[in-house]
Amino acid sequence: MTQATLQVQELTHDFGDRRALDGVSFEVRPGRLTGFVGANGAGKTTTMRAIVGVLAPDAGRVTFRGEPMTLDVRRRIGYMPEERGLYPKMKVAEQLVYLARILGVERATAQSRATELLETLGLTDRAHDLLHTLSLGNQQRVQVAAALIHEPDLLILDEPFSGLDPIAMETMAAHLRARAEAGVPVLFSSHQLDLVERLCDDLVLIHEGQVVAAGDARALREERAGRRYRVAVEGVAGWAPALAGMTVVEAGERATLVDLDDAADPQALLAAAQAEGPVSHFSRALPSLADLFAEVVR
Amino acid sequence: MNASRSDLIRLVAGREIAVKLRDKGFLASTLVFIAVIVIAVVVPALIEGDTPEYTVSASSEARPVAETAAALGSDGGPSLPAADITVMDTDDPAASLTDPEVAAALAIDADGGVVITARESVPGDLEELVAAASAVVTAQAVAADAGLSADQLAALTSPTAPRVELLEPKPDQPVPPELVIIIFGFMFYFTVLTFGVAIAQSVVEEKSSRVVEILVAALPIRWLLAGKVLGNTVMALGQVLLIVGAGLLGSKAIGKGEIVTQVLGVSGWFLAFFVLGFLMLACLWAVAGSLASRVEELQSTTLYMQIAVMVPFFAAILIQDESPLRVALSYFPLTAPLLMPARIATGDAAVWEPWAAMGVVALTALALVAVGARLYSGSVLNTSARTKLGGAWAAGGRG
Repeated sequence: MTQATLQVQELTHDFGDRRALDGVSFEVRPGRLTGFVGANGAGKTTTMRAIVGVLAPDAGRVTFRGEPMTLDVRRRIGYMPEERGLYPKMKVAEQLVYLARILGVERATAQSRATELLETLGLTDRAHDLLHTLSLGNQQRVQVAAALIHEPDLLILDEPFSGLDPIAMETMAAHLRARAEAGVPVLFSSHQLDLVERLCDDLVLIHEGQVVAAGDARALREERAGRRYRVAVEGVAGWAPALAGMTVVEAGERATLVDLDDAADPQALLAAAQAEGPVSHFSRALPSLADLFAEVVR
Repeated sequence: MNASRSDLIRLVAGREIAVKLRDKGFLASTLVFIAVIVIAVVVPALIEGDTPEYTVSASSEARPVAETAAALGSDGGPSLPAADITVMDTDDPAASLTDPEVAAALAIDADGGVVITARESVPGDLEELVAAASAVVTAQAVAADAGLSADQLAALTSPTAPRVELLEPKPDQPVPPELVIIIFGFMFYFTVLTFGVAIAQSVVEEKSSRVVEILVAALPIRWLLAGKVLGNTVMALGQVLLIVGAGLLGSKAIGKGEIVTQVLGVSGWFLAFFVLGFLMLACLWAVAGSLASRVEELQSTTLYMQIAVMVPFFAAILIQDESPLRVALSYFPLTAPLLMPARIATGDAAVWEPWAAMGVVALTALALVAVGARLYSGSVLNTSARTKLGGAWAAGGRG
């Protein structure tokens, strides 16, 4: 167990007679981007609110570096709430400095960090404008700055990418990556599955208040890959071999997808392909995150 | 980077103050209030400062009356108005009025009565002085006919006034205490409402913009509440001190130092009760804010708070005569902050009474702060809809 790991253990919470969280457990490891994926109402926001201490769960516990989430631990979190949260009628830079000081940063340090962050986010010329005069995308960037202003030891971001244009999205992704590489565990939720797939090292899939899959993103996909293979033979389009124990799922222009029975040997497929011509691709086909998600939610 | 409670509360309070100081509406209303107070103090003093001057023409028969009126005007004692009257002779009273300087002409008619002729109206104080002078002249004439000596005559026309002896004299006060009570009452009403609503607004603003989630993740809810209450209490007290100060400086500037002495004498109690009364209600104002989820809902959630501020104000203004009701209200926590200092101002409260009432208010404040903090904790994070009191109470107990 690495030092700076966030552990969520058996979180359970009811809203009235509806169970929002049902024994939610997972961990967020340092130096890794962890994507938190689930349908609307699956329990992502409730879990994140429980982690940062905005909501007291009915049962379960959260620890960081093995310690319970006391106030001093919570103050080292960079948190971006789902519905955002900044003062609309306060100036951008002033607002960042205020939040930084609430989080224990000295005034001078807070000022220089705010300047620095606004510069990285391309908002230097808006530093002295009131927040509500900024476009939604720019407000979102300020929100990111607010989560990073105290150089947190842990990042909990609820939908940080929603509402961002593609350029801002890339900037944000680079930011998160940089923080993760600096050793900060990063947990973020998103509906954009392709983005999560591309960005995340680890995944947590939640469905109706229960974690249905959690861990290394690639391992999870491999785990659920089954015995589907992708094979491409150079110069041959729409190859559809008829082999015992194998079913052609798709015979496409560039590759053929084949499902193998438990007894079938993938090497037999490879040999058949080689007999057809030079093999340019042969691999186990991993399900995309969208496939995984659809399977889990079903 | 550890959390220091006092630093964080101060930070939150500092933001509340900074926001208010930049609120143009607030600054404008404060300036208007100060201007009203200064005008109210200075203008009456300037108006009453001048003794009116009149020029009166008199026929030779009426001359003694005119001269007596002038004498009475310059020093006629407290019951007669002061006026500076210049007498000039005339043969034709009506003609003398063509001179715009002449305010009135005096003559004696065939029955020996005094006739005052004027253009449109006779100034009230001039008419009063002439009437008094006429009575004095008539009495002198009658006394002379009866052969009275000069001393006897003097005794007749200016009899010795009765000597007044008071067993429980009230201090000589340049401003009626009733007026002091109304001014303080109005100022408190205005200030408590301004800053009470400011607390509620600040809470609902954080709620509707969801900043509260970030704040609550970083500091305990009660510290946040304490910072808000502290910031607004400082501002409220500051505004009251500014207004009282402006009024007192105005009085001093126009040479009415005795007003300063009188007001300073009672303002200590007024201010002490004000701070305590404000603190007593402050957390409940925050609750009124946190029960709403949007600014639009404040009108209904703050309704009871507005009543809680209005009732003491009207009670203090309307119940100014000492009665069992007034005594009772001066101990009732909501009305005590105004009515106890009011009883002190009118000299009706014994020395120990304000201390007792202050104890009652302080205990109530402690209870209401605890209740308010719990309700605030239980409702401030519920951003989805208006929160019911019962739900807030239950949720506050868990937090």
